[in-house]
Amino acid sequence: MIPLAQAPPITFWGVQPGSGEMWVKIVVALVVCLLIMFGLTFLPNAGRKAVVWGFTFAGGLFYVLLWIVPTPINRGPSDLPRPGEEFGFWLQDALPHIVNSANILTAFLLGLGIYSLLRVHLGRIAKRQPDREFSAILLVCMVVMAGFGYADWIMRRFGEGREKLELMQNWTPVQYAFDLMFDGLLQQMDAAMFSMIAFFILSAAYRAFRIRSVESTVLMASALILMLSLLGALVALWNGGVDAMAVALNLPNASVDLKEAHFLNNFKLNEVANWVRSFLQVPALRALEFGVGLGALAMGLRLWLGLEKGGISA
Amino acid sequence: MTPQKSIWEKLQEIDRRILYLILAIAVTVPLWIPAKLPVIPDSTSMDLYGQLMSVPEDKTVFVQSDWTVSTRGESQGHLEALLRILMARRIKFVIYAAADPQAPQVFRNVILGLNQEREARGLPPYRQWEDYIDLGAFLNAEGTLNSIGQDVRKLFGPRRSADTEGRERPVLESPVLSRVQKIGDAGLYVVVTASATIDVAVQRISGKTKLAAMTTGVVFPSVLPFYQSGQVVGAAGGLKGVYDMEFLMANGVNVVSPTGKVEAQFPAKAELTAPPLTEIEPKTVTFARGQRYFLSFHAAIVLLIIAVVVGNIGMYKMRKNRRGA
Repeated sequence: MIPLAQAPPITFWGVQPGSGEMWVKIVVALVVCLLIMFGLTFLPNAGRKAVVWGFTFAGGLFYVLLWIVPTPINRGPSDLPRPGEEFGFWLQDALPHIVNSANILTAFLLGLGIYSLLRVHLGRIAKRQPDREFSAILLVCMVVMAGFGYADWIMRRFGEGREKLELMQNWTPVQYAFDLMFDGLLQQMDAAMFSMIAFFILSAAYRAFRIRSVESTVLMASALILMLSLLGALVALWNGGVDAMAVALNLPNASVDLKEAHFLNNFKLNEVANWVRSFLQVPALRALEFGVGLGALAMGLRLWLGLEKGGISA
Repeated sequence: MTPQKSIWEKLQEIDRRILYLILAIAVTVPLWIPAKLPVIPDSTSMDLYGQLMSVPEDKTVFVQSDWTVSTRGESQGHLEALLRILMARRIKFVIYAAADPQAPQVFRNVILGLNQEREARGLPPYRQWEDYIDLGAFLNAEGTLNSIGQDVRKLFGPRRSADTEGRERPVLESPVLSRVQKIGDAGLYVVVTASATIDVAVQRISGKTKLAAMTTGVVFPSVLPFYQSGQVVGAAGGLKGVYDMEFLMANGVNVVSPTGKVEAQFPAKAELTAPPLTEIEPKTVTFARGQRYFLSFHAAIVLLIIAVVVGNIGMYKMRKNRRGA
C-alpha cells in the first residue's frame, strides 16, 4: 500500500464503524445533548438570548479566524508546525469537525421538518378538519417512500449479493417499488411542475413584454440577439449569409472556408452575442455581484454581532 | 351595433389555453424528429471539452453534482456528457452532492443508465471502488467546499465504501482517491449545478485546482465573469451547452485529418485542438439527450420570439386604431 493510500488515523472523533465503542459514544452523545437541551429550557429569556448569541458568535468567529490566520497550503501528512504556526495548523485540523457538525445540524433540520409535518397533518386528521384526506395521503406517501428507500439502501449496502443489484434483472420487489415511487412518480412530478414555468413564460411574453420605452427596446433587442444566438441552425444560416456577402463584396481576406478574418465577421450572430455578453452582460453582473457581496458582508456582520433587528437582539 | 374587432384585437384577447396548446405541440412534436442541427459551440464549451480531453489518465476528476430532476432537461445532459467523456478515457472520478439530499439518488441513476448503455454496446462498465467513488451528500456547501479546499483527506476520511470484495473500507484506500492528497491533485473539479453552488466553489476552490462548470441556462450568466477572469477554465451552459458537448464529442475541436484538412474548424479557438471522443472509444455514444431536445428548444425559442413580436404589433395596431377613432 502506498503511503498516501492510508486513511487518517482513528481519533476520538472517528471510531471504527460498527464497533461497540461507536454505539456507546452515540448513546452517550445523545443523552448528553438531550440533558443540555432539557437544561436550556429552564433558562430565562435573557439567558436564552445570551446562549444563542454565544453560539452564533463562536460559529462565526471560527471562520473569521480561519480567514485571517495563515493556514498551511498543500500540507503533507508529515508536515509539522514551526514555532508560531501551531494555531493555523489547529484551525485547519478543526475545520472538518466543524463542517461535520454543521452537516449534522443541517440533518436536524430534516428531523424538524418531519416533526412539523407530522404535528400539523396528524392534528388535522385527529380534529377531522376539511381536506384531511390530503394530509393522510401526504403522511402515507412519506412513510412508504422512506420505508422502501431505507430497505433499498440497506440491501444495497449490507445485503447478501448486493453487487448483483446494480443489474435490473436481479432486482427484488423492494428495488422495483422504490424505483416506481422515486423515479417513476416523485421525479416525474417534480420535472412536470418545473416545466410548467414554460407555459407562464410564453403567456407573459405574449401579453406583458411590451416595447413602451427606449429602455424596454434595448432590453428586448439584447434579449433577442442572445436568444437567437442559442439556435444553432439559425446561427449557421446567418453566418453563412455573412460569409457569402463578404465573398460577393470581394472583401480583402474573405473566403468561404472561414480561414481568414474579414470585417463582416463582426456581424456574425455568435460574434454579436459574444460582444453583448462580454461587454454588456458580464460587467453588469460584476457590478451587481459586487453590490450583493457588500450587502452580504454588512448583513453577516450584523447577524454575527447580534445587531440585526428581529434576530437575537429582538 | 358593436364594431367588428380587427384580427389584432382578436389576437390580443386570445385564450391563454390556446397559447399553452401551441407551446405543447411545438415542443413535443420535434422530440420525435431526430435532427443533427449545425452548431457553433461556445468558447466556454470548447474550453471545457479541451480541459476534459487533456486530463492526465492517472488523475482523478472531482464531480460535484448539485441538481435534481426539476432541471433534468439540461443538467442530466451535462452529467451524461461529462461521465461519457471520463468513462471513454478511463479517467477515475469521485462524485458527490453538496446541496440537495435528493441529488445522490439522481446521479446514481445516471451512472446506472450509462453503465447499462456501455454493457449493451460491449464496453466495460464503470465499477464503484475501482473506477469511481460515490460519496453521497454533504449537506452544507459552504463548509464542505471550504474543507475540500483546506484538507480534502480529512473531510473524506470518515467515509466508507464497499471494495470489489464487498468489504467496507475507507474511501481514501480506493484506487480512485489513494493518490489524492490535496485538492490540487485533482485532474479537474467539475460542478454540475442548477444553483449558486458554483459561486461557493469559485470562492473556496478556484486557484487551488482547475475548476469547470456545467450549469443551467439560468445560472450560466453568473459563471461568465469567473470564466473571463480565468477562475473557471471551461463551462457548458443550458441545453445549448449539452448540444455543444455532444457535437464536440462527435467532431472534436480543430482536428487535423490525415489529409491535412482541419475538420470542425472554430476560428474563435484556433489555438485549441482536441480529438473527437469516438477516436478514443469508437463505440461510445456522442449525440444523445442534447440532440433529442435541441429541435424542441429551437421551436420553443422561435415561438417565444413570435409571441413577443405579435403581441407588440397587436398593441401598436390597437393604439393606432384608437387614435384614428
